[in-house]
Amino acid sequence: MTEFSLLDYAPVLVMFLVAIGFAASQILVAQLVGPRKRTATKLMPYECGKDPVGSARDRFSVKFYMVAVAFLLFDLEILFVIPFAVAFKSLLAAEQSGTVYYGTIAFVTMMFFLGTVVVGLLYEWKKGAFDWSIQARAEAIAEAAELKRKGGVFSRFRKAA
Amino acid sequence: MMNIFLAELADPNVSIPLVLPEMLLALTGILVMIYDSIRPGRRRVTGTISMVGLILSAVALFWIWSTPGQQLSAFGGMIVADSLRMSFTAVFLLVSALTILVSTVWVEREDVHAGEYHTLLLFATVGMMFMASGNDLVIIFLGLETLSIATYVMAGLRRRDLRSNESALKYFILGSYASGFLLYGMALVYGATGTTNVTQIALNTETAQFPALLLVGAAMLVIGFGFKVATVPFHIWTPDVYEGAPSPVTGFMAAGPKAAGFASFLRVFVLGFPLVVGVQASEFLHDSWITALTVMAILTMTVGNIAAIVQNNVKRMLAYSSIAHAGYAMVGFVGAGVAKTATGRDDAIAAVAFYMLTYAVTNLGAFAIVTLVARKNDRRTEFEDYNGIGFRSPVLAFSLSLFMLSLLGLPLTAGFIGKVLVFRPALEAGTSLMVILVVIAVINTAISAYYYLRLIVVMFFRERTEEWSQPKISTALAAVLAITIIGVFYFGIFGNNVIEMFSKYPVDVQMR
Repeated sequence: MTEFSLLDYAPVLVMFLVAIGFAASQILVAQLVGPRKRTATKLMPYECGKDPVGSARDRFSVKFYMVAVAFLLFDLEILFVIPFAVAFKSLLAAEQSGTVYYGTIAFVTMMFFLGTVVVGLLYEWKKGAFDWSIQARAEAIAEAAELKRKGGVFSRFRKAA
Repeated sequence: MMNIFLAELADPNVSIPLVLPEMLLALTGILVMIYDSIRPGRRRVTGTISMVGLILSAVALFWIWSTPGQQLSAFGGMIVADSLRMSFTAVFLLVSALTILVSTVWVEREDVHAGEYHTLLLFATVGMMFMASGNDLVIIFLGLETLSIATYVMAGLRRRDLRSNESALKYFILGSYASGFLLYGMALVYGATGTTNVTQIALNTETAQFPALLLVGAAMLVIGFGFKVATVPFHIWTPDVYEGAPSPVTGFMAAGPKAAGFASFLRVFVLGFPLVVGVQASEFLHDSWITALTVMAILTMTVGNIAAIVQNNVKRMLAYSSIAHAGYAMVGFVGAGVAKTATGRDDAIAAVAFYMLTYAVTNLGAFAIVTLVARKNDRRTEFEDYNGIGFRSPVLAFSLSLFMLSLLGLPLTAGFIGKVLVFRPALEAGTSLMVILVVIAVINTAISAYYYLRLIVVMFFRERTEEWSQPKISTALAAVLAITIIGVFYFGIFGNNVIEMFSKYPVDVQMR
């Protein structure tokens, strides 16, 4: 057992920095080049796409389920990939020192699994599960035009109050 | 560090040929799925690819079956190649192929999205095959879930029909509940025996950590499997689900998943919880499950047959009839459990597989005709809709009559040989409980004559009040009728050929 040294965890720190940097850069880029259409929908408090005020027993779009299914698919994928990634090096070493092709078996199996997951993604894509922004975008553009014509971003909320 | 890791590694014992049937079918399923997403709505192409996949899988199966000197188990004992797996897998492949042919009619008529349907059917079949080939509780559970999730969706494929929605939702909720029981049972059995491998469980029952835990686990497994094969008192879902599901899917569910349930049920109980003479824990466990299943078999037969009598809907009648047939098959199951020799046990297992084969052939033939008569949206499924069609559509009426007689178990038909074979092992055991069981089974066969013959009477001796336009029999459906009719006679007359094939590779578990 080697002595504990904080330096061993330097990659984790780098990972943190990369993560923060990535998030910051995304926000910055969005601020600089993103189009700014202040529609009523966009100015609403964020509530995962639902109406923030109203009954909790509301019907909501089936599209949420699509996202949930896609999320589950890739969430579970990670669940399988991580143990494989952790053990793979040792498996390769075991293959070289033994007679059983541990590393090859693990690699082929994992590639096959990843291929299956990609097929699932392809299927969802082709079926149009991710295609639901076309209508939403058209609606947002129409709404922005309407607001511009009325002449006030907050007119809708003022009327409601 | 490295050496410890190496020492802990088990040999994965990979054998691709042993899982080739499953792999081919899974790949076909993926292929159909991709094809359907790129070029949607080509029913004939997806159907053809599925059929080719099933045939390739069957070829692979028979290759394993007929090549001597095959490895008997692989993947650390998780997959086995014995007669139990082979015979049941053959049944599943036949059921799927016939279902694809039967559903051509329905798919064209209702404009179903066939690519999805074919994919689901193939994945369901893969699930069933893993249920039969898995010698490990985990593999069995995975197979069961693959099968269940696909069938839940298939039951609800008629999306705009409320009955179909109800069917799918009911099946889903109750099915997941039963899966929960099954998984809990598996966890408890693992806790008691320290292994999920069925062969190992059999060896460990005598040194079980907590005999009570093993007993509770076994009871939960009975509930989980009992639900899948629709035995009383876990049958409540069956009539509603079978009535609401599209007719070809109902035929599939009554033949395929039921047989798959029996395959794992047999493996886990007959091979996993055997009688070990002189060891109190296993004797008690064996005694308990034999008694429980005997009582369940009696209840299943009786409730299924008596409830079938009062049905006015043909699909519901066939649903209750399928419950009754699960009861008959359980007589063979119990017979396998009480068999004193390994050959007796293997013969009983082969008998149950053969029974599921005869039931599948007969039942799918009957559902082919029900599909044809039902017309769009499954409208005509009442007994009245069959009034007097006997001499107007003689082909349909005579085939349906033949299937009813085979379900009843008339000599020369498949059903007769099937019944004789499943009743025999229980009778050979000779205990009074087994004799009572067989007597009740025979009485039940007599009761079932009432509703099977009623359909024949309705078809031939009732006046038709509404007009009857003869449905067109497509080539695919003609093929199904030909295969099933030949099957009914072939299994009824030359059944022993099949039985010999079914007991070719004895189960690799010794009796103790």
